[in-house]
Amino acid sequence: MTAARRPGPIAVLIAILLVAPGCARSAGAGADRELVVLAAASLTEAFTEIAGDFERVHPGVRVRLSFGPSDGLAIQIVEGAPADVFAPASPRWMDEVERRGPGVSDRAPFARNVLVVITPSDDPGAVRSFADLARPGLRLVLAAPGVPAGDYAREALRSAGILQPTLANLASNEEDVKAVVQKVVLGEADAGIVYRTDVTPAIRDEVRVVHLPRSVDVTAVYPIAVVASTGTPRLARAFVRAVLGPGQAVLRAHGFLPPP
Amino acid sequence: MTLPRPRIALVALAGLGATFILLPAIALLARVPWATLVAVLGSGLARDAARVSLVVATGAAILAAGLGLPLAWILARVPFPGRSLLRSLVVLPLVLPPVVAGIGLLAAFGRRGLLGPALSVLGIELPFTPAAAVLAAGFVAFPLFVLPVEAGIRALDPRLEDAAATMGASRPHTVRRVVLPLLAPSLWSGLVLAWARALGEFGATIMFAGNLRGRTQTLPLAAFEVAQTDPAAGIAIAVALVAVSAAILVALRGRFLR
Repeated sequence: MTAARRPGPIAVLIAILLVAPGCARSAGAGADRELVVLAAASLTEAFTEIAGDFERVHPGVRVRLSFGPSDGLAIQIVEGAPADVFAPASPRWMDEVERRGPGVSDRAPFARNVLVVITPSDDPGAVRSFADLARPGLRLVLAAPGVPAGDYAREALRSAGILQPTLANLASNEEDVKAVVQKVVLGEADAGIVYRTDVTPAIRDEVRVVHLPRSVDVTAVYPIAVVASTGTPRLARAFVRAVLGPGQAVLRAHGFLPPP
Repeated sequence: MTLPRPRIALVALAGLGATFILLPAIALLARVPWATLVAVLGSGLARDAARVSLVVATGAAILAAGLGLPLAWILARVPFPGRSLLRSLVVLPLVLPPVVAGIGLLAAFGRRGLLGPALSVLGIELPFTPAAAVLAAGFVAFPLFVLPVEAGIRALDPRLEDAAATMGASRPHTVRRVVLPLLAPSLWSGLVLAWARALGEFGATIMFAGNLRGRTQTLPLAAFEVAQTDPAAGIAIAVALVAVSAAILVALRGRFLR
């Protein structure tokens, strides 16, 4: 290759300058045509599908999805990140946005979820029951405290009376529930506690599922709301209605339970 | 001789560059929760993270130096086919997204990684251990040790070593009395740069070593976890990190650039 064929630094700089303002603009208001939805990591598959359906029904609208730990997303909104719709995995973090600003409207619970234990398919830690998580030497990963999946998991362990011995097995506090799934799928952890809906078709063959005993009654409740600082309240409300309406079938198909 | 005065436009653009780089640090300082700073930094979580960070960054710098010095020597002194290719690839950890580096480390050293079975025969399981954090930080810091040291070795005049040999000095004696003293500034730069980079490591660490307080939770991981629920406390830890890193770089006074 000759040097002349390479784009010079000036050309690269010009390209960046041409593209950058476009990026900045599309991340901003964009009239009524773009919707930013911040949602819990566990909603990744269901909301991706719902957003696709929403875009088909609303031609010209682009739904930008950002998935992550609900606590982190809530803080992003409080800190002024642009967001039109918020859907955390726990009412606690919706409360946070209501209390510390910018506030929300049209709030409603839209789904519930239950926890399961997953292990790698070859089950290196021989986890047959929920109580086995307390067996010394097991390598367990949980979502971090504050992350709904991490809080629910600790609540379930406490309700089963095995919180302290199980936490002695904790190898890592993962940033969100999908990171817990990943560590188990990779075979690095013996077990993790995730939502039932995280056992997606993509990973179904790579993990074993151990159900929680009936006596452990911990259910995740997902609220959704329009973020008060939205620049597109009508479109945001339309998305919330879509999740509460046609989106319910999608959520059911992905294993979520109906709202309380 | 005096240099020609730079154009105003150049000075303005340079100022823009400096602002771009310094603004985030300044913005952090502007938001330091002074009232709670001492409480946050004195908290058990921050102290544990500082201890882990100190051990991990030091271990990583030693690892990078131990593996990097022989490689830097070979790259600088020994011509062989593929040398320039290898020299380019050694820089790979600098340009890889650290999370990708972490996935790579899992693929290599994880339980199901390339070397996983061999390691497990020896009774070693790396992921989620402090050793994994050292490996992750050492991996990303590696080029920052090798680059200045290789440059330093190339700048050594081999005739000095020949002269020492002519005067009857043994090779170990020459290395100790001639090579190492001449190389000391580059070694020092490489070590400190690698240490500072290791101190800031996040992505490869959280992927390969996980995040557990007192064990693998370094200061960047603690800042990230705390900031998810309490941004002010996250900023306090972040500012402490920036202060340490900036102090190290200022103490070096750009030596590694020469």
